[in-house]
Amino acid sequence: MEEIAKILNIISICILISTFSLVASKRILSYLNAFRIQSILLAAVAAIYSVYYLVAEGKLEGIIIIFFMTVALKVIYIPKMLKKISLRVEYKVEKDFFINIPISIIICCGLVVLTWFTVSKIPLMNNGYNGIFLVQSVSVILMGLFFMISRKKAIGQIIGLLVIENGTFLTAMLLTSGMPMIVEFGIFFDLLTAVLILGIFVFRINETFEHIDINKLRNLRG
Amino acid sequence: MLFLLLLIPLAASLLFWTVKSNRKVINIINISGTSALFAVSLFILKEVLEHGKITSNALGGIFYIDAFNGLILFTTTLVTLLVSIYSTGYMNTEYDRNIVNHSSFRLYYSLLHLFIFTMILTTITQNIGLMWISIEATTLASAFLVGFYNNKKSIEAAWKYIIICSVGIAFALLGIVLLYYSAFNSLGNTLQCLNWQFLNDNAGTLHANVLKIAFIFVVIGFGTKVGLAPMHTWLPDAHSQAPSPISALLSGVLLNTAMYGIIRVMTIVNKNAGNSLFTGRLMIILGLLSVGFAAIFILVQKDFKRILAYSSIEHMGIIALGFGISSALSIFASLFHIINHSLTKSMLFAASGNVYLKYDTKKISKINGIIKVMPVTGTVFLLGLFAITGMPPFSIFTSELGITIAAFKEAKYLAAGLLLLFLTLIFAGFTSQMLGMFFGKPHKDHGIGELNRITPVVLLIILAIIAVTGLYLPPFLEKLINSARDIILQV
Repeated sequence: MEEIAKILNIISICILISTFSLVASKRILSYLNAFRIQSILLAAVAAIYSVYYLVAEGKLEGIIIIFFMTVALKVIYIPKMLKKISLRVEYKVEKDFFINIPISIIICCGLVVLTWFTVSKIPLMNNGYNGIFLVQSVSVILMGLFFMISRKKAIGQIIGLLVIENGTFLTAMLLTSGMPMIVEFGIFFDLLTAVLILGIFVFRINETFEHIDINKLRNLRG
Repeated sequence: MLFLLLLIPLAASLLFWTVKSNRKVINIINISGTSALFAVSLFILKEVLEHGKITSNALGGIFYIDAFNGLILFTTTLVTLLVSIYSTGYMNTEYDRNIVNHSSFRLYYSLLHLFIFTMILTTITQNIGLMWISIEATTLASAFLVGFYNNKKSIEAAWKYIIICSVGIAFALLGIVLLYYSAFNSLGNTLQCLNWQFLNDNAGTLHANVLKIAFIFVVIGFGTKVGLAPMHTWLPDAHSQAPSPISALLSGVLLNTAMYGIIRVMTIVNKNAGNSLFTGRLMIILGLLSVGFAAIFILVQKDFKRILAYSSIEHMGIIALGFGISSALSIFASLFHIINHSLTKSMLFAASGNVYLKYDTKKISKINGIIKVMPVTGTVFLLGLFAITGMPPFSIFTSELGITIAAFKEAKYLAAGLLLLFLTLIFAGFTSQMLGMFFGKPHKDHGIGELNRITPVVLLIILAIIAVTGLYLPPFLEKLINSARDIILQV
């Protein structure tokens, strides 16, 4: 398990780096690419676990299904759909962020440090790789949240939500090698429906408001 | 029996699509679906009162009903029955005015029953992972209902609703992962590791620190869905823009189901710590913050449905406060308050729907003389306002009084004082803002009389229930609340 943990550690660092590159990217297509790379790495984590169980214990665990679903949904289907949406709603990319990129990166570094500081306070987390895993995956979640806050356009917010979800999956896989199967299925199903519904709403916002700038939706306040 | 609860709304939701163009058939499916649901839930309640709990053996016992979720189930099915009857009146009027066409009429009922299905699923499961899935599914099922009118405001509200709730609830998922991690570490990997009963029995072996962090994430996550301040921002928009029957369900039922998730996790953390200091403080602070926020925002609203929405935030805050104080009296009062708030608030949203249909506006300043124009709706609405602000003899008075007394008894003087202050402010806000709507002369001639025959009947039934339970608690309900309280207190 020690060698596996080392490999997983490297992959989860790569996921963290891919999240940084997501925060640093300006265009919708580069968001989508960064998200796709992140999902591929996430699928790799699931693949490593399932191969490990197959070799070490000789049984096929449910985690292999997570691998297939991650590849099918998060690597192929969702990025493709979002790309289609972004091409259909007229989308010229100028500055669609509130905070400029260098400052965003510095804030994200701050988030990682904050997570590390908090996790180091938990006694259980100080042994082995679990603490490092938790730092990396929770940082991904917080950076996803930051990404959502800092982007104005609807698609940026959808990607932020997906990154938060990826981070949670990463936490679940690294710490517990996957939640019970029925729960994982349900989460995937919810995720898919959520993205579909959000996609439909992007069209509706575009039709009714003639833009998808969430920052300008200000009819309801107070 | 348990599976019938899931089967009925799901079947109803699909059945609507077989109806070609007959509105009457749709109404019949709707009402018979919810009545059957209510009947089944009564039967299950009887079993629960006799045996203490019901578990299904399928899927590792993830379906489980004891007195606590039995109570939530009872409230859910009762309110959905009443609201679905009201809904026929509301939607028929909208249909007759050509605001909705046939296909969206059918879509509305189909989604309504899907929404009911997801809420029932939340209340009858003990698996915390499945609970998360179904709470997220409630958001997805109701998103189109919130954006049903498809105008600028309702689309904005729906977008806000789905984004804020999904993000919030993603944090709850992280909390659940941590909870699972702590169980996995000490109890090994089984399907049972997310079942409440199993976790609660083995609460002592879990890691206290991980549990505390998990609880924070769960409170923030599910708290977003409950509408606790400062995560409440989606709530006034969604409640005010949705069609009134949906607002009634969102406020009367949905918020309770999310609260149910929090309380289940809270009992595990309390049992692990041996006291309720940690969870109690968190719940009291969030509860008081919600009541305070609501008190301030009610004073400045211009839209009567938004006032009712802020009042939901207030009442969820009061319920959280009661659970946070965590004495026998306060938990009893909180559980009772859940029922009272559901009924009273759905009555108010139903009445506000009638007013909206009659006057075709939600602005308070444009409405006058409701009592003259619609005598029954107006009277019920006015009495309902007094009921929701905690006037006797209505049931909310009893439960609010219980929570206040419990706060004083547990020496939480600051909390009790602030609660009373905020409640006074809220009463002042309600009366100064809304009383003008009922009297005086209408600006335009709207025609005197109720919209239809069915909606006033629903309003009167709910009014009768809340007036009676304010003075007399039926024995079966008392027994149910008492055993639910014992489950939460773990005695």
